[in-house]
Amino acid sequence: MTGALPGVAPMAVPPGAFLVVGTLLFAIGLAGALLKRNAISIFLSIELMMNAVNLLFLTYARMRGDLAGQMIVFFVIAVAAAEAAVGLAIFVALFRVRRTVDVDKIALLKW
Amino acid sequence: MPAFSGQLVVFGFASFFALAFAVLMVVQRTPVRSVLSLVVTFFGLSVLAVLLAAPFIAALQIFVYAGAILVLFLFVIMLLNLKEEAADEDDRPVQRTLGLLVALALGGLLAGATLRAPAPPRGTPSLSSIPSPDEIPALGRLLFSDYLLAFEALSLLLLVAAVGALLLSKRKFE
Repeated sequence: MTGALPGVAPMAVPPGAFLVVGTLLFAIGLAGALLKRNAISIFLSIELMMNAVNLLFLTYARMRGDLAGQMIVFFVIAVAAAEAAVGLAIFVALFRVRRTVDVDKIALLKW
Repeated sequence: MPAFSGQLVVFGFASFFALAFAVLMVVQRTPVRSVLSLVVTFFGLSVLAVLLAAPFIAALQIFVYAGAILVLFLFVIMLLNLKEEAADEDDRPVQRTLGLLVALALGGLLAGATLRAPAPPRGTPSLSSIPSPDEIPALGRLLFSDYLLAFEALSLLLLVAAVGALLLSKRKFE
């Protein structure tokens, strides 16, 4: 797995290293999303997971010598911005009613 | 080869900071500290993006993610005055270990799978070689030609999200 594809300048850092960092960040984000109880911290962990995937997209874009991967990252960032705005507004509205953002206490739809 | 080792050193530093502060973000119990740790992680990720010949995305990462989205998080945390997570009444050791195990297993699985996967085939080249000075103009041209529909849909999405956020955070929410 080398970056030295025809027409693409070789990469100084092996692409596998970027892939490992991306997957590790994804796993850390998943651990956060599973272990945290504060809704905002869970949301933050999901942001981290999206960024890990963005890193993988950039790595593959670099390996393929194709700008489509960078384009996808652009769209992911924009959608994440929209998602953060709406999600945080939901938490604010929820906090007004329930006085908490602890996901253990907001279990109305659980069963 | 001095350039070679220089890039490796930068990669090592950036990925170390990104990973260490990501772990810190999860371990931290105070939401404000979590957000600030995540800012450092995003700076590391943006350095990695520069190494991957994506300077535009690197700038976007800092402007939009660290600058806008995480500041929004900070504002909401301070607005709600969230302190440390309350000490757990019940520790739920089973769920904790299960969650950790699942995360570790998925991380190992994904790392193994991505490392074993063959190198992706070379795509339809949009540039002769990707680290080139023409990259950002090429991205702009792509955005307004091939991805024009998606771009317009995105602008609509952002408008709807802004209106939705306003509506949701109105005081008289029924």
